[in-house]
Amino acid sequence: MRIQALVIREFLDLSRNRMALMPVVIVTVLALGLPFFIAIAIPRMTGQPLANDSDLAKVSLVLGLRDDLSGEARIQLFLFQQFLMLFMVIPVTGAMALAAHSVVGEKQARTLEPLLATPITTFELLVAKVLGALLPTLAIAAAGLGLYFGGIVLLAAAGVARAMANARTAVLVALVGPAAALVALQTAIVISSRVNDPRTAQQFGVLIIVPLSALLVAQFIGTLWLSPAALALIGGGLTAVWMLLTVVSVALFDRETILTRWR
Amino acid sequence: MIVAQDLTRRFGSRTVVNRVSFEVGRSEIVALLGPNGAGKTTTLRMLAGLIAPTSGSIVVDGVRLTRSTGARLRSRIGFLTETPGLWDRLTVTENLRVYARLYGLDRPDRVVDRVVEVFGLSEHAGARAAELSKGMRQKVALARALLHEPAILLLDEPTSGLDPEITRSVRGLLDERRTSGCAILVSTHNLDEAERLADRVAVLDRRLLALDRPATLRRRLTTGRVIVRVTGDPAPHFQLVRSFDATASIEGHTIAMRLDSAEERTPEIVSALAAAGARIVEVRQEMPALEDVYLHLMDGQH
Repeated sequence: MRIQALVIREFLDLSRNRMALMPVVIVTVLALGLPFFIAIAIPRMTGQPLANDSDLAKVSLVLGLRDDLSGEARIQLFLFQQFLMLFMVIPVTGAMALAAHSVVGEKQARTLEPLLATPITTFELLVAKVLGALLPTLAIAAAGLGLYFGGIVLLAAAGVARAMANARTAVLVALVGPAAALVALQTAIVISSRVNDPRTAQQFGVLIIVPLSALLVAQFIGTLWLSPAALALIGGGLTAVWMLLTVVSVALFDRETILTRWR
Repeated sequence: MIVAQDLTRRFGSRTVVNRVSFEVGRSEIVALLGPNGAGKTTTLRMLAGLIAPTSGSIVVDGVRLTRSTGARLRSRIGFLTETPGLWDRLTVTENLRVYARLYGLDRPDRVVDRVVEVFGLSEHAGARAAELSKGMRQKVALARALLHEPAILLLDEPTSGLDPEITRSVRGLLDERRTSGCAILVSTHNLDEAERLADRVAVLDRRLLALDRPATLRRRLTTGRVIVRVTGDPAPHFQLVRSFDATASIEGHTIAMRLDSAEERTPEIVSALAAAGARIVEVRQEMPALEDVYLHLMDGQH
């Protein structure tokens, strides 16, 4: 009930301060537009099908020969699969501001002390803070995802939409995306409870996307192709990291220092 | 209800609270007086379970306050922090509802509606906290501290910066809570408030300098001066008065004298003056103000 109470508070606050969600919306829209621009708009504008690009054709073979798809459709499928991962991760960067601000922001607004004087435990407080940033982000990401798949159905080559409905997509959407978001936001909250400036927390928190970006780049250049099983493993690993981070964040949350040393 | 024993708190090498012991009983208000940096807020934070004492103990209702009992005991304590700490973008009702749920109250919405009414906040219930005046914010914060009807109230300068009308209503509310059995510890700079409100006053300057009823504290500094006001000219009675105190003086209709054991000798003088035909209007023993007592205690510190 206490977690729910604080999550409701976070939502109420966000509903009165919608601009705080703008970074999430902006990066979602950008992440939404980019794959369609690359996979659909550029070939149409230039009259050069993707299949004419030998490098892309070669890299897309990681999907297998896919006799059911044309060369163009296979490359589109490859690109939409790759961008799906980016699409799941990018909105989190926007939500970092919310998470980074969560503890230090309460302290700066002098709302933390009365909150800590209630029976709320550190675990409840930190879980509520993560959920407060995660749920709106996931809602925006889910809306974006709907548009993403809608766009594929409407604009992509025949068979691409059907081919997207696979285990890899399911693992990415249901496991890797939310788990990456949890890790990033929990990291931001750990940092938020250790620094006395939200900007510092945000800047540290954004570092979480560095390994994920490296993963994406490796996939795009064809060095690495993550199978559904590998993605599931990464998702499981990220979930374990999140759990560990939760334990660490509770241990590192020092009420006394926050109340007495921060100014 | 609250027993603080040898409370000490150090930050690094700096001792902010030094071996402070006191008790606050049921239906009692104790005012914590002291200059800035005297350790009042730190003491309140320790009692609220927000920071741990370096040494010493706190017992609340027979249960020692520790890390493991903290959450449970905090549900019995209402703490008004130095600043109201309201969420600016939430309305008064929303602020209170979140706290009602944090305290795990049954029917939180109903409790909040009642508290809003009791505190005279109905007119502002839908207003965002950011739109409220300082006084109203403080009132909402006090309502928040009382939402769960705590047995113990810790208030850090509850009337600081409030206008006289709101100050009066806050005092009235505290008086009601005392009547209903609450143990209340109030930190304040306002000596007049301490005298009006508190059953006992604790003077703190890192260590506890005094703890007693305001009248008892004032009596400590009494000068033994007794003032007798009469109708008509007091001069005919001057010789009589001088037989009690050679330094007695007359000013207008007033005779002032300094007596050892003033409480015992005053009736004797009054009887003698009356027998001599003096028409006595008023007899009073001159008492120092609580402010004088406070300053005297502080002077002794520095």
